Order: sequence, then structure tokens, then C-alpha cells
Amino acid sequence: MSSLRDHAPVDDPMTVGAERRHEIERFLFLEARLLDAGRFDEWLALFAPDAVYWVPSRPGQTDPRAVASIVYEDLPLLAMRVRRLTHPRAHVLAPMPRTTHLVTNVDVTALEPARRECTVESAFLMSEFREESRRVFSGRYSHILRLADGGFKIASKRVDLIDCDGVHQAMSIPF
Amino acid sequence: MAGTEIGAAEIRALVQPDRVHRRLYIDPAIFELEMDRIFGRAWLYVAHESQLKAPGDFVRSRLGRYEVLVTRHKDGTLHALHNRCAHRGARICASPSGKRTSFVCPYHGWSFRGDGSLEAVPHRESYPEGFSLEEPRNRLAQAPRVASYRGFVFASLAPDGPSLGEHLGTMTDAFDNLIERAPGGEIEIAESVFTLEYPGNWKMHMENANDVFHPSFVHESSVATARAAPRQGSALDDDQTREMLFANNFTRREWENVELVGSEAGHSYMSGFYKSGILAPTEEDAVRAEYRACLARRHGEVRAAEILGLDRFNNLIYPNISVNAQYHQLRVVHPLAADRTLVTSYCFRLAGAPDGIFHRAVRFLTNLGSPASMIFSDDVEMFARCQSGLTSGAADWIDVERGFGRDRDFGPGLRIATASELPTRVQFAAWLRFMVDERLAGAGVRQAAQ
Repeated sequence: MSSLRDHAPVDDPMTVGAERRHEIERFLFLEARLLDAGRFDEWLALFAPDAVYWVPSRPGQTDPRAVASIVYEDLPLLAMRVRRLTHPRAHVLAPMPRTTHLVTNVDVTALEPARRECTVESAFLMSEFREESRRVFSGRYSHILRLADGGFKIASKRVDLIDCDGVHQAMSIPF
Repeated sequence: MAGTEIGAAEIRALVQPDRVHRRLYIDPAIFELEMDRIFGRAWLYVAHESQLKAPGDFVRSRLGRYEVLVTRHKDGTLHALHNRCAHRGARICASPSGKRTSFVCPYHGWSFRGDGSLEAVPHRESYPEGFSLEEPRNRLAQAPRVASYRGFVFASLAPDGPSLGEHLGTMTDAFDNLIERAPGGEIEIAESVFTLEYPGNWKMHMENANDVFHPSFVHESSVATARAAPRQGSALDDDQTREMLFANNFTRREWENVELVGSEAGHSYMSGFYKSGILAPTEEDAVRAEYRACLARRHGEVRAAEILGLDRFNNLIYPNISVNAQYHQLRVVHPLAADRTLVTSYCFRLAGAPDGIFHRAVRFLTNLGSPASMIFSDDVEMFARCQSGLTSGAADWIDVERGFGRDRDFGPGLRIATASELPTRVQFAAWLRFMVDERLAGAGVRQAAQ
């Protein structure tokens, strides 16, 4: 996979046609909708078995082992996180926060045809409401999407919050 | 300040041996007094010397109400300088850390040395004849006392009072053990840090950290999750995360057997409770075997086993830090208001230890210190709920009587107990001493440069 950052958008219709771009966007919107609807098991099912979900704690963080992350989880760990989300005594989730995930500025920035993968970068905004408080997270997503069985799976998802190294209150709903 | 109108008798009446008044958590006037008399006087952790290796190194930190620049001056001395220009009051330095020969105010260009002394002012000729760079009021204000215990730098806003060594007492064990765990004899604070804010009083975090009664309830969701998950499911972390979630799965009897030690100074620690997985002191895998061998080369097998065998979880040092030597962690609690607190979590790299040991410390930090922690997030939710509940005047008192009267002596100034709120009670005893000791209270917050 080539660098995620240094590429201009790949919008050559010979490689990523308008129809494919549309499918990619629809997939990202589906992911956002599942999170907003609290359908976390279905959200988890979008990930490939070898996927990693990563929310770095430092801007431009490259090392997830020697530098702590807000979240750095493979599918079995992410599955635990999702299972806890729906546990009746996950206190920080009672009442369950409501969210709106907005995904925009979608660009396909790299292709890896041999692996049937593409890197998709986007900007996101997540608005959250719980009890008396509202808050907003924003930043950029970097998805690696893999074509499998005629549909996409998330091979990796990186969430770079603009304030990843800032002060935060407890976080619960995935970005 | 309104808070200073609260007399000693009134304060004493708020703390009884087995219960405390809700005003301790919600009253802004009490909070202001705490900032004067506890955080304005106590030794507070501000930096680690691995951040201040060479002259000119500095790190921005918090000291009670204030933002300070902890500096290594060119003569090697450490200083905690208020980040406020002596000229017009501008915040001088906006960088979290770095290396500078002088701090130059961005507003009018006054420049200060690493010991806070004024080096130069532009347009010197326009100042009156009597103007002097050496005048004390032209220096950066600084904490009157800065001292280091084996690399852990503390500062006090009071010009006098107990020495750092007197304050730490036997809790120096925790720092000693952390450093002894490094085969290279040194530790380095890691780049990783989390700062979490919660809508609750600062004392709640300190009380919770050595509370053995809450995990069965507060952490039930993460325990249940870990119980249902397959062992060794993840390829990322040798099952560390699942084991950490599952560690709170103690039976009532097991929690009630966790030993709790409290000191007259308000410090406390609890014995460890990781009994399985790679964090359990009794288990050994390839990474730990290599690490143990490194440590044995430095200390010998017997001593290495003793060092690694010290099975203590949180070591709380009054008023606001928690040292976890075993897993190389440090937490610092910063009060912002009666109902707002910051918790900063750090971890350390042990010189000479395999990378895998550091990676586990980093993972530990993520699992417990991250704002997205599946464990800590439920703790802070409880703090928020207590804060909310305590605003109700329906009842005034908070009960802390578990195990009351059943502590035993455990050496000079120390008490030991199980199934007890002893750690919380020693914190209130220290609180009261700071808050009503008129002699020390007079020292107050003195910012004048020395």
C-alpha cells in the first residue's frame, strides 16, 4: 500500500469510476448510519477478520505499540468493545448517547489492485447528545476498504481526531 | 476571598471519623480554601527529570492553580516558573516542552533566564534611571521550593513546611521499586499521555483509586464482556486487554482480602490483584523471562525476584498522585473547580528492559488512562453521578465507615486493613490537617520570587 498522505486523489475514471466512487460513499454512509442507529453488531460486521480500528492519541502517530492510542484494537478486541456497549450496566452508556456521524470530502487516495483494496480518506464530524450535554468530535477518517464477495469490508479504519492530544471527557460511541 | 471566612471550627465540623459533609465536594468556598491550603502548600508532582536532562530543557506543567514552566537552568538547578511575564502578565510560553536558553515574552520582548531572572529588556534607555534587571519584581515568579526524589520533581508554593522526604515518608518505596525494575537503573517518562476531564470533585478520584468495594458493581460490564470473550482472541496484545477487563472479576471474599495500607500523611496503597495473564506477577512468558534475566544480571536472582515480587497496585501520595510501580504508570489529579477535575496519565520506559515490557506499559496506559477506556469511563461516570447527587440538600453526610475501628498498626505512622475504607479516611485526616493548621495555613500561596 502506498502512502496514505502523499497522494493526490485518485479520480482517474479508468481506475475508480464514478459508479465505484458512488459505491464507496454509500458504504461509508451505511457505516455512519449503523453507528447512529446503535446497530453496533452490524457495524462490527463491516470489518474484515484481520481489521484494525485505530484512534491515535498523537497527530501523525505512526507507532501504535510504543505510543499509547485512544483506541487500538483488532477485531477480537473491537468485538469486546461492542459487546460492552450494549451491556445493561455499562454506566457511561446509560442512557445511551445519541449520535450523528457526518462523513464528507470523500477521496480515494490509493489503490492496491492485487489485494483488491483502496484507501479512502474523508472528513467526519460526530455530534453526540447524552442527558444534558452535547459535544462534537471532528477529524479525518482513513479507511482501507477491501472488495470481497461483491461488497466492501473494512480492512482498517484510522480516526484522526483534530484534538486527539487534547483534553477529553470519557468517550463511548465509536467514531 | 470568600473562602477564607470559613473558620477552623466550621471546617473541623465537616469531617468526622466515619463520615464527611457534602460541602467538601460541592462548596466553591471550600474548594478555594483547598487550593490555598492543600494545593498552595503541599509538595506537588510537576515533572520527571527524564524531561529535563540538559540545561535549557523545560516542560510546561500545572502547580495547583497555576501553569508553570519547570526548567533545568544552566547551573543544573531546577525551577518551577510561573508562565506569566513579569512585565505585562502575558503567558510567555505556549510550547508544552522544549529547550531554550531564555524565555522571551512575545508581547514586548522581555527575556528571562531558566532561573527566572530577567536577562534583558528592549529599549532599555526608555526606562527610568532606577530600573534594574536585578530587581526581584522583574523576575518571573516561581515556586519557592522545588525538590526531586530520584528523578520525580515536586514543587511547593509554600516557602517552608515539611521537606519532600518528610512528606513522602515510606511511600518512597513506590518510586524506588519503579526505578529498581529498570535493568539499566533508570526510567524515562514516555511520550504517551492522556488528559481526561470529569465533572466531579478531585477527591473522588483519589478515594476511588484504592476502593475495593466498587469494582464488582462499577466494572460489571467490562468483566462480563471479558468473561464472554475467547482467551487469546487478539493477536495485538497477548490477551492483556481481556485480562485487564477480567481482573475486576474478584469474588467479594477476594476483594475483601486485598490489603490496604494507609499513612498518617494521607498516603495509601493496596496489594495487587492481577492473578492471571501476562500482568500477573506469578506468571512468566518469553518477554518476562527475558526481562527477568536482564534484571537478574543487574541485581542478582534473589534481589530481582524481590523487586518483581512487590505486588502493589495504586500507591496514592497525598494529595493528588497515584504511582503504579508494577506496571510503570503515574497519574496526576488536577482540581479545576469543585466540580471539575483533570486526570493526567503517564507511563514510563524502563532502561535496559525488552521493548515488549514497554509495549505492555503503553497498553496498560491505553486500557486504563484513555478517555475511551472500557474501565475508567465507568469510574468517571460514578464521579459525575456523585457530584450530581451531592448537590441535593436532601442529606448532608457521606458515609465512609466500612472497616472503621478494625485497622491494625503496620509500623510507624502506618495502619493496615482489609475490607476497609481506611485509604479514604486517611485522606480526610490529611485534608483536615492541611485545612485547619493555622501555622501552616498562614504560609498560604506566596508567589513572590525568592
